[in-house]
Amino acid sequence: MTKREIAYQVALLFIIGVVVYLVAGTTQGNLARLGVDSSIDFLWKRAGFEIGQKLIPFDANSTIARAFVVALLNTLLLAAVSIICASILGLAIGIARLSDNWLVSRLAAGYIEIFRNIPSLLQIFFWYFVVLRTLPRSSESIGFFNCIFLNNRGLFIPSVSFGQGWPWIVAALLAAWGMVYFLRRQERRQFAAPALIRPDTRRLNPLASWNLLILAGIVGAIVLLAGAQLEIPRETRFGYRGGIVMMPEFLSLVVGLSMYNATYIGEIVRSGFTSIPRGQTEAADSLGLPRRLTIRLVLFPQALRVIIPPLTTVYLNLFKSTSLAAAIAYPEVVSVFVGTVNNLVGQPVFIMAITMAVYVFISLCIALFLNWYNRKIALTVVT
Amino acid sequence: MNWLHNNLFSSPLNTVLTLACVCLIVIAGVPLVNWLVIDAYWTGSTPADCPDKTAACWPFVRARFDQFMYGLYPETERWRVNLGLGLIILSALPLFIPRFPGKRRVVVLAVIAWPLIGALLFLGGYGGLTYVETGSWGGFFLTVVTALFVLSTSLPIAVLLALGRCSSIPLVRVCCATWIELWRSVPALVVLFVAIIMFPLFMPEELKIDKLLRALGALTILMSCYMAEAIRGALQSIPKGQFEAAEALGLGYWQRTFLVILPQAFPVALPQITSNFIGLFKETTVLLIIGLFDLLGMVQSAASDPAWLSPGVSATGYLFAALFFWLFCFSLSRYSAWLERKASVYKTHAGS
Repeated sequence: MTKREIAYQVALLFIIGVVVYLVAGTTQGNLARLGVDSSIDFLWKRAGFEIGQKLIPFDANSTIARAFVVALLNTLLLAAVSIICASILGLAIGIARLSDNWLVSRLAAGYIEIFRNIPSLLQIFFWYFVVLRTLPRSSESIGFFNCIFLNNRGLFIPSVSFGQGWPWIVAALLAAWGMVYFLRRQERRQFAAPALIRPDTRRLNPLASWNLLILAGIVGAIVLLAGAQLEIPRETRFGYRGGIVMMPEFLSLVVGLSMYNATYIGEIVRSGFTSIPRGQTEAADSLGLPRRLTIRLVLFPQALRVIIPPLTTVYLNLFKSTSLAAAIAYPEVVSVFVGTVNNLVGQPVFIMAITMAVYVFISLCIALFLNWYNRKIALTVVT
Repeated sequence: MNWLHNNLFSSPLNTVLTLACVCLIVIAGVPLVNWLVIDAYWTGSTPADCPDKTAACWPFVRARFDQFMYGLYPETERWRVNLGLGLIILSALPLFIPRFPGKRRVVVLAVIAWPLIGALLFLGGYGGLTYVETGSWGGFFLTVVTALFVLSTSLPIAVLLALGRCSSIPLVRVCCATWIELWRSVPALVVLFVAIIMFPLFMPEELKIDKLLRALGALTILMSCYMAEAIRGALQSIPKGQFEAAEALGLGYWQRTFLVILPQAFPVALPQITSNFIGLFKETTVLLIIGLFDLLGMVQSAASDPAWLSPGVSATGYLFAALFFWLFCFSLSRYSAWLERKASVYKTHAGS
C-alpha cells in the first residue's frame, strides 16, 4: 500500500467520523427539542389498535412488539405467495413465448410488453379500486362449487383444521420427508448413470414413483386419523365465517405484483432457454430422447444456470415492492410500523432503523439462499 | 395457407392451443372493446355526461386533463412548464441521432443543465416570474421532473460510487460497497420515508428543506446505487490491457479513468442505465404515498372526487394513466434495445 493510499483512507475515516458526529449531535438536539425520549421501551407498550389480517393472535391489548411480528409475518406471507404465483405465471409465459405456435408466442409477447411497462402500483390500484372493491356485497357473493366465495370483503376458501392431532401430522410429514430423502439417495447410489440423468432416474424406474405414492398414502392416512377436518365457509348474518379469508388488499397485491413481475420472469426464462446452443437439442435428438425428456433432462438444467442469477434480482425487487401495500393499507411492516406505530409513539429513529434492518436482513437471506442454490446446481451439472 | 399451417396448425396440440388462444382473445377482447369504445361515453365534460356508472367515461379525462398534466400548477404559468419541458426534449434530441457532431459533450452539458433549467423556470420567484411553490407541482409534469432530475443528479454520483467500489484502496472499496448494498436492499418507499421523517432530524433546526427536494434526494441516493452497479459491470468488462496501456502512457488515475476507461465503459452501461431509468419512471408513482401527487396520484385523487365517483370513472382514469406510462416506458425500452443492438454490433466489429 502506498503512502498516498494510506493518506486517503485516513482522510476518509476522518470525514466519516466528522459527519457521524455532527449528524448524531444535531439529531440528539432535535429530539430533545421535540421532547422525544428515545428509547426502545415503546415495543413493550400496549398497542391499542387492531390489525385486519393476522396470522398469530393479536388484539388491541397486545404489545407493539407483537404488532411488529404480525406485520412482519404479513409481509413474508405476501412476498411468499406473490413469488410463487409470479414464478408459475412467469414460467408459463416464458415457455409460451418460446412456442412454435405463432399465436401463442405473440400473445405471450403482448402480455409481457403491456404489463411490464405499467407501474406496479398502478396495477395494484386497478385491481383494488376497480375490480375487488366493486364486487358484490356479502349477500350476493359469487360462489364457485359452493365452497369458494368471492365478495367485496375478500375471497373465502375452505381450510383444513387439524385440531388436537397436529403434532402427529408434523411428525408424519417429517418422517415422510426423511424417507423420501433416503430413497432418493439409495436410487442415486444404485444408478451410476451419467450425471445429467441422475436426478431423474425415478422417471426411468417406475418403482421409485410407487414408493412416493405409498408414502403419500401413509401421510394422508395419518392426517385423516389425527382428526383433520375440512372447514367450508358458511354464510351467516354477518358475512361468511370459517375457512380462510383473503382480504381484498391482499388479493389485489398478489395479483398486481405477480402479473407485473411475471413479465420479467417470462423474459428471463426465455433468454435462459435461448442461451442454450442448438447443438444440445440436436445431440439429445440423436440420442433418441423424446422431446419431453430433452426439455427436462437436457435443456432445463442448463437453462436454470442462466436463469437463477437474474431471477434473484426479480425476487428481491418483488420482495421490496411488497412495501407498496402501504398505499392500500394492507397491514405489512411499512404501513403498520412506519404508519400506525410511528404516529402512535413518535419514535422515528428506532422505527426507521428496525424497518430498514428488516428489509436488509430478508433481502440478504433471499440473495444468500439463491446464490447457494445457484452454486449447487452449477456443481451438479459440471461433475 | 402454408404459413397458417406451419405456424398455427402444425400438430394436434398446436391446433388446440391456437383455438384456445382465439377463444381467450374473444372472451377477453370483446367485452373490453365493448366497454372501452362502444358502451363508452365520449362527448361532454361533466359528470352528467356519464349516466351509466360502470361504462368507460372519457368526459372525466377531458375535464381533468390539465390537472393530470400539470397538477395544481397555476393556469397562467403553465407556459413555463411547456417551455421547460420543450427545452429539455430539445437538448436530449442528439441522443437519438447517431452521428451528431460533439454529441457526447452536448448531452453531458444538457444533463447538468436540466436541474438548473427546472429550478429557474418552474420555481420562479425572481424578475417577472411569480414564485410557484413545489406543493402545487403535480401530474405528469411532476413525474417527468422527478425522473429527469434524479437521472441528472444520480449519474455523476453513480460514476463515483462505481469507481470507489472498484478502487484499489480497501477502505474506499468497503465503504462504497456497503453504501450501495444497504440502499439496494431497501424498498424505495422506505428510503422516501427516511427522507421525509428522519432527514429533518439530522439537520439543524433552522434548515428547512422542501419536501419535494427531500424526496428527490432520496430517489437520487437510491438511483445512484442502482446505476453504480450498472457502471461497475461495464467497468469490469473493459480489458485489463486498456488500464495497462493508459498507465504505460504515463496517465494518472483520473486521466486514465476519464479519458480512457469511462468513454469505453459508458456505451456498455447505457442499456442497463436506460432500463434503470425506466424503472425510475415507474417508481415515481410511489411519491403519491408520501403525499406528492404525480400522474397516478392526480388520477387517484380526481377519481375520488364525490362528483365523479364511480367504478367506470376510476377505471377510465387508471387506463388513461396506464396508457401514458406505457407509451413512455415502451418507447424507452425500444430505445434501450436499439442501443444494445448497436453496442453488440460495435463489439463484434472491434473483435474481428
